[in-house]
Amino acid sequence: MDIIEARNVWKNYKIPHEKRNTLFESLYGLMDSKMGYESFTALKDINFTVKKGEWLGVIGHNGSGKSTLLKVIANTIRPSKGKITVNGKITSFLELGIGFQPDLTAKENIKIYGAIMGLSDTEIENRIDGILEFGGLTRFKDTKIKNFSSGMIVRLAFSTAVQIEPEVLLLDEVLAVGDLDFQKKCFEVFDRYREMDKTVVYVSHDLSTVQRFCDKVLLLNHGEQIGIGNPEEMISLYQSIA
Amino acid sequence: MSNNLWQYRHLIKRLAISDFKVRYKNSVLGFFWSLLEPLLMLLVLYVVFVDVFPSTQKNYHLFLLLGIALWDFFTKGTSMGLQAIISKPGMVRQVYIPREILIFSSSLTALMMAVLEIGVFGIFMVISGVMPTSTAIYFPIIFMIIFILVFGTSLALGALNTYYRDVQYIWAVILQAGFFASGVFFDFSTYESDIKGLLLLNPMARIILISRESLLYNTAVSSWDLVFCFASSLVMLLVGYLIFMKLEPGFAEEV
Repeated sequence: MDIIEARNVWKNYKIPHEKRNTLFESLYGLMDSKMGYESFTALKDINFTVKKGEWLGVIGHNGSGKSTLLKVIANTIRPSKGKITVNGKITSFLELGIGFQPDLTAKENIKIYGAIMGLSDTEIENRIDGILEFGGLTRFKDTKIKNFSSGMIVRLAFSTAVQIEPEVLLLDEVLAVGDLDFQKKCFEVFDRYREMDKTVVYVSHDLSTVQRFCDKVLLLNHGEQIGIGNPEEMISLYQSIA
Repeated sequence: MSNNLWQYRHLIKRLAISDFKVRYKNSVLGFFWSLLEPLLMLLVLYVVFVDVFPSTQKNYHLFLLLGIALWDFFTKGTSMGLQAIISKPGMVRQVYIPREILIFSSSLTALMMAVLEIGVFGIFMVISGVMPTSTAIYFPIIFMIIFILVFGTSLALGALNTYYRDVQYIWAVILQAGFFASGVFFDFSTYESDIKGLLLLNPMARIILISRESLLYNTAVSSWDLVFCFASSLVMLLVGYLIFMKLEPGFAEEV
């Protein structure tokens, strides 16, 4: 069964010459026709499917559209053309986070995230300790997130995301800010997910982990789909266009 | 939309409660601080309209306090709804949830705060020896109508403010005007003017008027007034919903 199916997905961004953020500026912009915008195509005609239990790696240079693709899969932004369908509850890990609110404590944020994933109060309550322990953050459970370091936030986000039993997991550069110890824990989780047949889309610049965990790899370059296929081929293709 | 709201009820509850706690800084004192504003407003208006321009209204302090509490519900609710999307960028950019949930939970937080203020009003009533009569049964209905009005208005404002950040300043001015036009400190039933009919098109003016009738003056609410208020809140809900759905796809890029 296809868990994720992308068909002819395009994403255009309008980049105004001057960012208009107020009604006043927009009205002014209507009168002053010089203030146009340029169009930027972040994704050009992307097609792929991901089956249940499969790991799809996404690689490419900075600005190749990897993160945009994940956001479109997560449904936080919508494609300009084409369609993506996802069958299953998505846990997304985008922009190094999962939507925490800075003014709330770690514990409260975990509860909110559990509620996003549709867990009841008792189900969340049962998992909180495990989540905090996994991230090594038990001591900071009543600290507001705004006082966390970036590494702590990522650890908390990742441990929350994986302890809440996702069906489909979207991961964008999880390992980038973790130390060796945390990376080791991540790999243990990845191994467990492989055994549990979880579906994962994994964006990373770390080619060795892509090779180790992914069943197939999508190579993007300037928004274009260069190829999709087995990891070794795609990685060497990537290195050849470098 | 109602489907989404039901499916995410745990989240809505959680968000509404956590916002409520943040508002009151997790303390009992925080709750009293929040009541300070309406009570000071009561004091100022009371001095002005009893001492400076004597009002002949019976139980004028209750008349005022009810107006202030209901107007506060609308003001706080819509102002929080206005910020509901842009104040939670992470929940818009990093995860997908139906975004109307953020607006709905902000309206719920406002509802909880309004219930507390009405509770304080109730205490004032008892102290003043004014007991609610059978016509008070209209009040819960009127209260729900305000909630629908707040939610509908917030859908429109929250979405518009995400795209155009000066909507919040424009709305602040409209609220100022609304305070004077909604009969918070005067009585529309004794007020005579050519533009009275026009002013009573403002649903909040009529809502405050009929709330006083039902709670303070033992007067049955006319069904025309009730239908007018209910219908205008539904129209606002529809308009707000349409604006919201039109703008929602771009939220993550604009927030």
